[in-house]
Amino acid sequence: MLFHTWPFALFFLVFYPAYLVLKGTRLRLPWLLAASYFFYTSFNPLYLILIGYSTLVDYTVVKIMAKSQHRKIWLWVSIVNNIGLLGFFKYARFVTENLNTLLSSLNIPYAIPEPGFLLPIGISFYVFQSMSYTIDYYRGNMEKENSLIAYASFVSLFPRLLAGPIERAKNLLPQLHKTPKISMQNITDGMSLFIVGLFKKVALADYLALYVDNIYAAPEQYQSPALILATFFFCWQIYFDFSGYTDMARGIARMMGLNLMLNFNNPYLATGLGDFWKRWHISLSSWFKDYVYISLGGNRKGTFNTYRNMFMTMVISGLWHGAAWTFVIWGAVHALGRFVTRELERTPLYRDKVPKLVKQLLVFAFVTFAWIFFRAESISDAWVIITRIFSAGWADPRCPVWALILIFTVWIYQFAYESRLRWIIDLAPVRIGIVVGMILYLVVFAPSSEQGFIYLQF
Amino acid sequence: MKSDAIKRTETVKKLEDKTVPFSSNNIRLSGREWIIVAVICSSLFCLGPGLWGRIEKFKPGSDYRLPYKLGNDYWLYSRYCRWACSNYETLVVGDSVVWGHYVSADNTLSHYLNQYSGRENFANLGVDGFHPAALWGLLKYYGQDVSGKNVIIQFNPLWMTSEKHDLQTEKEFHFNHPKLVPQFFTKIPCYKNSFSERFSAVIERYVPFLGLVSHLRIVYFENMALPNWTLEHPYGNPLSAVKLELPTPGDDLQENVSWTEKNITQVDFQWVEPAQSLQWRFFRRTIELLEARDDKVFVVVGPFNEHMLKPESYETYQKMKNEFGMWLQQSNVAYCIPEVLPSKLYRDASHPLGQGYAMLAERLFENQSFKSAILKEDHD
Repeated sequence: MLFHTWPFALFFLVFYPAYLVLKGTRLRLPWLLAASYFFYTSFNPLYLILIGYSTLVDYTVVKIMAKSQHRKIWLWVSIVNNIGLLGFFKYARFVTENLNTLLSSLNIPYAIPEPGFLLPIGISFYVFQSMSYTIDYYRGNMEKENSLIAYASFVSLFPRLLAGPIERAKNLLPQLHKTPKISMQNITDGMSLFIVGLFKKVALADYLALYVDNIYAAPEQYQSPALILATFFFCWQIYFDFSGYTDMARGIARMMGLNLMLNFNNPYLATGLGDFWKRWHISLSSWFKDYVYISLGGNRKGTFNTYRNMFMTMVISGLWHGAAWTFVIWGAVHALGRFVTRELERTPLYRDKVPKLVKQLLVFAFVTFAWIFFRAESISDAWVIITRIFSAGWADPRCPVWALILIFTVWIYQFAYESRLRWIIDLAPVRIGIVVGMILYLVVFAPSSEQGFIYLQF
Repeated sequence: MKSDAIKRTETVKKLEDKTVPFSSNNIRLSGREWIIVAVICSSLFCLGPGLWGRIEKFKPGSDYRLPYKLGNDYWLYSRYCRWACSNYETLVVGDSVVWGHYVSADNTLSHYLNQYSGRENFANLGVDGFHPAALWGLLKYYGQDVSGKNVIIQFNPLWMTSEKHDLQTEKEFHFNHPKLVPQFFTKIPCYKNSFSERFSAVIERYVPFLGLVSHLRIVYFENMALPNWTLEHPYGNPLSAVKLELPTPGDDLQENVSWTEKNITQVDFQWVEPAQSLQWRFFRRTIELLEARDDKVFVVVGPFNEHMLKPESYETYQKMKNEFGMWLQQSNVAYCIPEVLPSKLYRDASHPLGQGYAMLAERLFENQSFKSAILKEDHD
């Protein structure tokens, strides 16, 4: 039941009117929780056990922590439990594969059986969200939550359950407790966010996927231009896909009177890698900054330790995205990029003399290059792509010009949005024209197949 | 002067916006602006199909039949239906047997019926691959103009020759025109499309604009969505593909060779009995639908190639014919189960060759029931 499908539309049509009726009553949260659990079990009823378990453990841990002298022990109970859940469901296969490779290289004739279970959708997101509650409570950043229903609603809130944003308890829980004020502006804002997200996902991301999937399925069959183009397209595909999801999630939440945090802020206009991570998947970046980077010591203990902490945070962040070495390398490459741009930004020449546009294009090129590791099926595939980009000959990439036109239109829009020309795209006829154009495009030209969201696999 | 309440609301709004930015773009419409969007979009959706019908040339003439490759274009079918209803007394409806799969447009059943009647009375509304379940959906949702007309509807027993043809296998099977069969309330065992696909099919039936979109895809973009088309034609201009001209029907499938010359052997079909048959049930429903629209219905069963049947299969088919006849008689539906044509006039199990159609038309003109149900109406 993904946001851009009919089942979700019908689900929301049933849920929303009742939510509006119940919003001022004590039944609002139970209704929201029931809807969220129904939404989640539509993917697999067994998921309910997992999210219920995770919710109960963290809720109980904080209850006990409130009365205990050994708060740190209970914090670790929560952390180990959450990381254990993630490790078991997300990384067990990865660990088994690597151990088997090791055993085989040592000529030990034994193979550990690979686990047969699937990764539950959204687990990486709600586990992190739930963990932030126990850590924030431990740090004294927020109050204990007394209502189990409110806490369970916070963990399972359906608009953000599958792929974030990873909300902090101190932002979302107070909103859940208050009777939401749902004005006409909330509804129209929600619709505006939703339509933009739907367009990004269905009209753009799914379109680019058609080209990218072909090339990345067999990179050894393609020459340099096609590989460059597929990587360029993937760079935009993943942005449209994930930010489209977030826009829709925020739009739905906004219609329910809830404000979810901004998760993407035109990341391909970033002027440095640090800036990029302040604009890309902001809820995750800030989570890692607050709970990993700062916990490791942040930038408090000299340059070496700062870079070490930065490197570790980025590698763990890479691993969070997926249980494969390609993601670890992707994180490491980004860490190196951050070192370089951080140092460059300290030099007056780079900081003051290099035009902003050049910096933006450099960062964009670097980020695009790093996506190769993210998208490739394996390290060897990533290597094939990189070597062929730089060594293979020329062949017509059969580049769909229409896709390029769409990408550059969006890019130019984003540049305009962050420039002095913003007043043009702020004019009512322009905004109305864009929305009409998006709706017509979705109806007339969108691909007919429904594709899942990339980030659901994380 | 703004009231205090408004000022307070604006302050809260500003504070909220400061803590949680709205978005990374400024596509943010007010209620009034959304109404403008709704008005523009609904106008385009409502007026679009009609306007397109005026812009795109469509001049079906004598012996017209929908081009083979536009068989899935239900919007065009509906347009053709409208035209045929206003220009012809009698519509001949059915699958590829009516359409004339192996013959040219001037060798079809409707052509010979016109020839025998001496004027242009019969329009060919057959479409390739339209099994009864799909035909029911086509006439119900896209053939609403077929009202108060004479309708000759052909039933092809081929659709009952196996559980698969009858859509009864439990294993998923991709049959023709799935969008036209009932999506939710009648169980079709081999139909396993997702809820979304089924729901989309239902929506498409009631929103003509979506039918127009399908039409554009089928006619101008090789039956592909624009993104897929641009992958096939990466440097092509989508606008230049829209030539505003419909393809001509063409006679590409013409083949004047009988089944025996094709070395097709006799077959022992695993017939599905009428009482158990989904296709027969849909055919009956189609008759009821047409009668409810005040159409004068005349049913032609077959002419099936009985020469191709092994003895056991032949016996079963004879019993089935009796059952068809009994039901039609009991339901007061005029019908004809024509005598089997000579073997050499069949191309396969159900399709006659050109001469076969001529003979079939001749036999219909000799049939009393046909004379009273169709020709009498004509002569009136």
